[in-house]
Amino acid sequence: MAIQKILVAYNFTHLDQKAIEFVTSTFARLDGIEITIFHAYTPVPEIETQASMVTGKLKSSLSYLSQQVMQRENEFKEITEKLAKNDLANAQIHTIFRPRKKDIASEIINLNRETKFDVIVLNRKAARVTRFFSGSVSHKILMTLKETTVCVVS
Amino acid sequence: MSAEEKIDIDLFKVVFRAMAQSDNLEIMADHLTQLLVAALEIKGCTIFVLNPEYDELEVLASFGLSTDYVQKGPLLSDKSIADTFSGKPFVIPDVKNTDKLQYPQDAQKEGIGAIVSVPINFYGKVIGAMRLYHHQVWDISDRDVDSLLVLAENIGLAMTYTRVLKALKTIRYTVDDIHDIWMLE
Repeated sequence: MAIQKILVAYNFTHLDQKAIEFVTSTFARLDGIEITIFHAYTPVPEIETQASMVTGKLKSSLSYLSQQVMQRENEFKEITEKLAKNDLANAQIHTIFRPRKKDIASEIINLNRETKFDVIVLNRKAARVTRFFSGSVSHKILMTLKETTVCVVS
Repeated sequence: MSAEEKIDIDLFKVVFRAMAQSDNLEIMADHLTQLLVAALEIKGCTIFVLNPEYDELEVLASFGLSTDYVQKGPLLSDKSIADTFSGKPFVIPDVKNTDKLQYPQDAQKEGIGAIVSVPINFYGKVIGAMRLYHHQVWDISDRDVDSLLVLAENIGLAMTYTRVLKALKTIRYTVDDIHDIWMLE
């Protein structure tokens, strides 16, 4: 039996937890399942190195931002390790925690080009006006990907 | 804490250059919240978009606050620092002494001491709000509040610009989908 590759986009929200629960209840008992949990974070902005006092002070404060990113990464590892031990013990779990360069939909589409997934699990938040300005992740993915099952948890 | 001025031209340069690194609104807003938290040494910063249909605030970007606090429940524009939506900034120097918050207990539990809320205006209409959260009581200077208004106005511009860009891209994808002959580079 061929391995089924499943991608779960994760962003630390209650809806992401719901998406994980969906994956657990739907795929956990099956054999030959490979689950990738993916989070793309906004990297700390690059600051020009100039002799300005404010820039210098800001550069030292940026280490605090990097610490926050590391803290998030640890939180991400804890969540996925817990899943691998308990709810999804039957499946192979991979995690990807990497900086984003584009919008989240493009990051997921690019990742799908690198590793062809059979199923992509997303969630859809109720924020309508935010979507008006920044675009819908699920809509862009559905419009772009072919021969991939996309599940949207809302 | 004295009303020391912390926002100057150097900070403006850093913020605008960081925002200009991306054409993505979420990344721009994330960079703005990150840099304000770092530069002002505050607890957190959130940028909200106003949903005029339900009078609710939707989170566009947030940095420094816990997920539980950010997702504590619907934020109603007439209950949560409503003065911001008349188009003017509002300062809560001490969250223990205010009736302007919708979730005052959650704010204290989160370790928030003070909140500054500035409207995001565009063409005279309030389309959102930017809020800064300090760990302790905060005596922010009038000039810094004014500078935050300028930053918020730029977020309003970025929101409009990226909305237009998104509309153009949607047209392009739709045309591309019809036939390769229409492919634009």
